[in-house]
Amino acid sequence: MIVESPLALDDAPEPRRSRWWLVALLTLLGLLVMAAAAGAYLLRAGRPLMSSPFIADSTGYGFDQGPQELRRRAIAAEKELDQVAPKSVWIVIDTYRNRLHVVEDGNVIRSAVCSTGTGRVLKDPRSDKRIWVFDTPMGERTISNKRKNPVWAKPDWAFIEEGYLPPPAGSPERFDDVSLGDFGLYMGSDGYIIHGTLFKSLLGRRVTHGCVRLGDEDLEFVYKRTPIGTHVYLY
Amino acid sequence: MSTSARQSALTSIFTSTLLAAAAVWAGDGPPDAGFVAARELEVQLAKQPAIYLRLDPQRRVLEIRARGIALDRVDLIGIELVSQQAMLRPSLPASPQIPALWRVKQGPGDTDREVIAPTELRPMPKDDEEEAPAQGAGTAPQPTATPIPEPPISYRAQLENGWDLWVTGELPPQGGMRSWIAAIKDGWSRVRGEIVDVPPAITLAMHGDDARRIHHLLRTGMPILVTVEAN
Repeated sequence: MIVESPLALDDAPEPRRSRWWLVALLTLLGLLVMAAAAGAYLLRAGRPLMSSPFIADSTGYGFDQGPQELRRRAIAAEKELDQVAPKSVWIVIDTYRNRLHVVEDGNVIRSAVCSTGTGRVLKDPRSDKRIWVFDTPMGERTISNKRKNPVWAKPDWAFIEEGYLPPPAGSPERFDDVSLGDFGLYMGSDGYIIHGTLFKSLLGRRVTHGCVRLGDEDLEFVYKRTPIGTHVYLY
Repeated sequence: MSTSARQSALTSIFTSTLLAAAAVWAGDGPPDAGFVAARELEVQLAKQPAIYLRLDPQRRVLEIRARGIALDRVDLIGIELVSQQAMLRPSLPASPQIPALWRVKQGPGDTDREVIAPTELRPMPKDDEEEAPAQGAGTAPQPTATPIPEPPISYRAQLENGWDLWVTGELPPQGGMRSWIAAIKDGWSRVRGEIVDVPPAITLAMHGDDARRIHHLLRTGMPILVTVEAN
């Protein structure tokens, strides 16, 4: 009868298994050390965006002045601001939202959907120097003229944009008595007008060449309510 | 926002300006020197027929103004100074002094524009020639059907004082593990040569739609009055 010794079975494989785990452990440790070193290197090389609070510090201003002088300056500043502030009726145009507001004595009496400039740039293919920017201008303008049934004297860009050679000045193709609608309010003499539109479905979008388009009823309201000299604030 | 709600909001903006002005001399104490200086700076701007921005860091409000009145306002989520810093030895910049008048040196309103140009021009068709007639009127302009791309919600403008103005809908992750991860990610990008250094920025965090609607205002020369509230 042959009896297998348990010792004989354990002797051979056990040491090999122990060494394998040791090698695995050392490898893992080595990888961890390498990863930590790489991480430290990257951390040292990295310059991430860090934020710190904006501190509103105004301590350097005029604290050597007496209270009376400060009060005098404050009142003078407020008076000047009051003098330049708009009075009576004015118009505010938000070119991003495409909204026009008529304001009377600080109260909005009418808000209307309008269309403003695309902001695109048109280049004349015949000359790199001739470009037009289709922005609705920003800032203060004044209604300098008002007309019923305004006629549009089409400038060169109106033809170039369509791919046509501009006709000579004074040519009948230059004049369009339909596109501007029933009323026109001219914001200065450089061609920017608040007017009507044939394309009412485009109201509320930036589609114009810089003029401000309104729907018929809103245009009539603005025409009747705002006299020549009314200030328009466009932003 | 409904039309009536917008009307009342606008009305409150206009009246708030008057109330703020009245507050200057209504109090018993002397007005704050910084506030007076800010109002004097605003007088200079309001004498011009141009739009300007007024940033109030304490109230976290950016106003669009002209002639001393507020036309519109943006409520900010935060105002921070954001700069690239080494994690181990950061050297955070100091806030610029206020009140101050900053000006945009170059902004996205100047550069983010679509350019159109026909390749060649042809003669106008005669009346009896067959060419697609304009809609409605004989010479009416065609509607522009091409949609205008929406402005981005995160962009930078250079200011004349050397700072950048960064308008963003989301501030970079800060604090704890997120900063360390951001540092390691940035380091990895630098090792691979993918990172471009950016100058420190005064950062206005705001909602995406607000960021879009002031995008076109950040053009060369746009003044930004950084003001101080009255005590």
